[in-house]
Amino acid sequence: MAEPIEPQAPAAPEAPAGPYVYDHAAAPFRQVVMPKTVPLPSFRTYTAEVAAAAAADEAKWQKQLADFEVAKTKAETEGKDAPKPPVRAVPRKDDNDMKTPWPVAATDADLLKLQELLGDSVEECFEQAGERVCQVKKEAILEALRVCREEPSLKYEMLADQSATHYPAAKDFAFSIVYHLTSVSRSKRLRLRILVPEGFIPESACDLYPSANWMEREIYDMLGIRFANHPDMTRILCPEDWEGYPLRKEYPTVGWGQRDIDFRDDRGGVLNRLAMEKAGQLGINLKQPKAD
Amino acid sequence: MFKNEEMEINLGPQHPSTHGVLRVKLRLDGETVTKCTPVIGYLHRGVEKICENKTFFQGQVWTDRMDYVASISNNLGWAEGVEKLFGIETPRRARYIRTMLTEQNRLASHLLWLATHALDIGAMTVFLYAFREREYLLDLFEAFCGARLTTTAFRIGGLREDLPPGFIKNAQAFQDRFLACIDEYEELLTENRIWKKRTVGVAKLNAEDCIALGVTGPVLRAAGVPYDIRKAFPSAAYAEMDFEIPTRTEADTYARYLVRLAEMRQSHRIIQQCIDGLPEGPVMAKIPKILKSEVNEVYHPIEAPKGELGYYFVAEKGGTMPYRMHVRAPSFVNLQALPKMTEGRLLADVIAAIGTLDVVLGEIDR
Amino acid sequence: MPTMTLTQTLVMGLLQCVAVLILIFVMVPLLTFAERKVIGYIQVRLGATRTAGGLVGITGALNRGMWAMGKLPVLSILRGLPVFIADILKLILKEDIIPAKAERSVFTLAPIISVMAAFGVFSAIAFFPGVLFTFPAKFPIVGGLPFMGFISDVNVGVLYILGLSSVGVYGIVLGAWASNSKYPLLGGLRSAAQIISYEVPLTLSLLTPVVLAGSLNFKDLSIRLSTGADMHWLGAIPLFVGFLVYTTCGFAETNRTPFDLPEAETELVAGFHTEYSGMKFGFFYLAEYTNMIVVSCFASAFFLGGYYLLPFGLQRLIPASVPFLGQPSILFFFLKVFAILFLFLWVRATLPRYRYDQLMDVGWKWLIPLTLVNLFVAGLIRYAF
Repeated sequence: MAEPIEPQAPAAPEAPAGPYVYDHAAAPFRQVVMPKTVPLPSFRTYTAEVAAAAAADEAKWQKQLADFEVAKTKAETEGKDAPKPPVRAVPRKDDNDMKTPWPVAATDADLLKLQELLGDSVEECFEQAGERVCQVKKEAILEALRVCREEPSLKYEMLADQSATHYPAAKDFAFSIVYHLTSVSRSKRLRLRILVPEGFIPESACDLYPSANWMEREIYDMLGIRFANHPDMTRILCPEDWEGYPLRKEYPTVGWGQRDIDFRDDRGGVLNRLAMEKAGQLGINLKQPKAD
Repeated sequence: MFKNEEMEINLGPQHPSTHGVLRVKLRLDGETVTKCTPVIGYLHRGVEKICENKTFFQGQVWTDRMDYVASISNNLGWAEGVEKLFGIETPRRARYIRTMLTEQNRLASHLLWLATHALDIGAMTVFLYAFREREYLLDLFEAFCGARLTTTAFRIGGLREDLPPGFIKNAQAFQDRFLACIDEYEELLTENRIWKKRTVGVAKLNAEDCIALGVTGPVLRAAGVPYDIRKAFPSAAYAEMDFEIPTRTEADTYARYLVRLAEMRQSHRIIQQCIDGLPEGPVMAKIPKILKSEVNEVYHPIEAPKGELGYYFVAEKGGTMPYRMHVRAPSFVNLQALPKMTEGRLLADVIAAIGTLDVVLGEIDR
Repeated sequence: MPTMTLTQTLVMGLLQCVAVLILIFVMVPLLTFAERKVIGYIQVRLGATRTAGGLVGITGALNRGMWAMGKLPVLSILRGLPVFIADILKLILKEDIIPAKAERSVFTLAPIISVMAAFGVFSAIAFFPGVLFTFPAKFPIVGGLPFMGFISDVNVGVLYILGLSSVGVYGIVLGAWASNSKYPLLGGLRSAAQIISYEVPLTLSLLTPVVLAGSLNFKDLSIRLSTGADMHWLGAIPLFVGFLVYTTCGFAETNRTPFDLPEAETELVAGFHTEYSGMKFGFFYLAEYTNMIVVSCFASAFFLGGYYLLPFGLQRLIPASVPFLGQPSILFFFLKVFAILFLFLWVRATLPRYRYDQLMDVGWKWLIPLTLVNLFVAGLIRYAF
């Protein structure tokens, strides 16, 4: 997996002057906190991480041993008591009913078949939490979907869900798009995944699975990924003139519609009046605050 | 001098029979619909974005507000999805109670559907008969968790509390009289000539179209596909339950009506099995106070009253909140089929089609 | 009957009209109250309860008193009765909105046409075939004059009533068109098609008693049908079929369930009166309920025996010498009217609504052929016997 980059939080927009100043320092919860990691589940990354952790653990143990040797010889030369031999740390076992589902190598027949049929297009196959995941190249998604739908031994007839995730910290891609396929006749599920960079226009799945129509519109609406050959690539949940894509990580959760005024101190109602006036000029709908 | 002109009308967002704030743009040639475009988003609250900023425990509260007539099903999906994400094993008693409450909620949801669907077609009285039973169920939910609609019934790892005293007795009282109530609704509708005229052959959607459009739930089963997630991918205690998947092959509004009524009987059967075989034991698994996730993504589907309700979680390492949460809402996907069902039919059939799809706008717009 | 001067005729006519108007204005609100209560009873709920059901005010004092005596408050049976006064007050006091794009004059005229047509019908309806009472001689102008059970005794009364009640549809269509809005337009179109289609079987089914009894006078016809004078006993069969068809068409003519398509609220919001408010809406409302009463009066008079106890010529089984049951009575007439009105409410609570094309099917493919055959049979009976 690619090195994570440090994503930049979007610059704070210019605050309107007035009694309800947008002060990032005073209201830190308003700042957009960008994620630092790329939580993209992957067997390859997981094995690499496990190997790295084991190596680090081993190195630490070796260092402890070496330190002990040094300390022992030093103590011998100085005639002191020998130090305690080090004990290798055992990972602490939590006393709970959780068995974290780690990714495991693909053993399922469907995944192996897919790998065989798609060949180089498959980037990765693994299983996690009982779910089958197959990551394919972004250009080959239509081919992969067609194989899943039409290959008689796979027969994934239904596209149950399609969704995307924004990874601002990733280097060579920005979004992952997942297709949850269901085989109604075989009671099986499969997740296809592609990774797309910003600005890439993947092929629409509408021709193969008509149910992708609204799901892709929703992805476009929420994350701003356009799809090629889609019959109606318009916003679906937000109004047509909405700005920004709400499910991107840099999209703020708190908007301009709130004030930073403590109205409890404003006995005379002066600030309140000013705020309402200002809001009127800016076209913001401020609700009358409730007295505590 | 005379010219043919098509009329465009807006059915909704404020209209007596669009079940919320659904807006359907209709192009009418006389009374015949030539084009039907559902317009949604009037109830969009950004639940997915909000849940990215809530912990796994807090997020469940937001699921109540999606399909607000079947909030326990939504709670079940969330709780089990998170449990799958963390690999938590729930105690058997908790799973039984969850199953029972979810099925009772399915009854409540189907009763509401029956009430409003019959009202849309003009039969007033079924509405109040169905609400009579629904009230009883909502009282049961209130006894269990203190809320009638926005239940937040479950906790990650099980239940917060065991059943309150007297719950089983009251649930059994409901069980004893509910089958007779279904017969009462059937007496009013099933053989009613006008009801059959209004529903038989209306808003057809065959099995291929259902699967292509991702339509699930009773609509798919009324097309002859015995696909029920309770059987196909059993969760909670469904694997231990003995029940059937009612199907019909006519794929019309009447078949969906019959399928839902048969499903109510099956739910009744499942609840009875839960009451009879309720195991003893704890209701909460041992889990830490703060859940810290590992890198993982899961998609957990359950059979909600409207169809396949799926929760898709992406979790980061050490995170207490989901990195990404997505809901596969059954109504959202099912509503896509509305143009296919109604184009070329009459205006009154649009109303029947909206009713038979059983959409809830809180879930569509999220 | 003594001959009357012009003044006496005018004053008597006025008094009769006022009496009928009072009757309508009492019956319509009572009918709305009955609708709440009857449908409430069918739907396992209470119906209107708030007015006069509480423990405050005048009725509250009564209620509390009875409660204190350990008796169920009498008013609790009629709880909610005064709500009809509130209904009327609300309709009168509400703001009367005329949409900006509406055709103002037609918009105002339409409810008036509807309500006039509905009221006008009553001038030929006889509630009782003879004298109800005689004014005492001490009354200034009308002293010694009889008060009849009808306003006027038109000898082609049935034709007059059919003609006038067809005018009512103009009110609906004009109102729908003048609203300049889409849902009312659809409602108006539906209404025009529906009422015109159902006018035909309605008229044909009314011809059956006319053919059988050989009169167009409202009260003569009614008396002949129930006493069976001048009618063969086989005539009861086409008469009964005619009754079923007439009631069905009557439901359609008054836009009641299962034929309430012009105002199907789940499809067309409120149909032709979507844009109406205040008393203009009240007029449509009044017209609908008045029409229900008219239809019930017709069914009562021609098919259910009218002023006599037994219908279909069965009255001849009871000789006229029997004191109460053998005599015509206004009570019998209204008993049957109320029975039909109850049927209206009962059907509303039970049946779903037809679709537009199915409604037309029922009208043209079933009812019209049926009435034609029925009329033929009636004619045959009339000719043969």
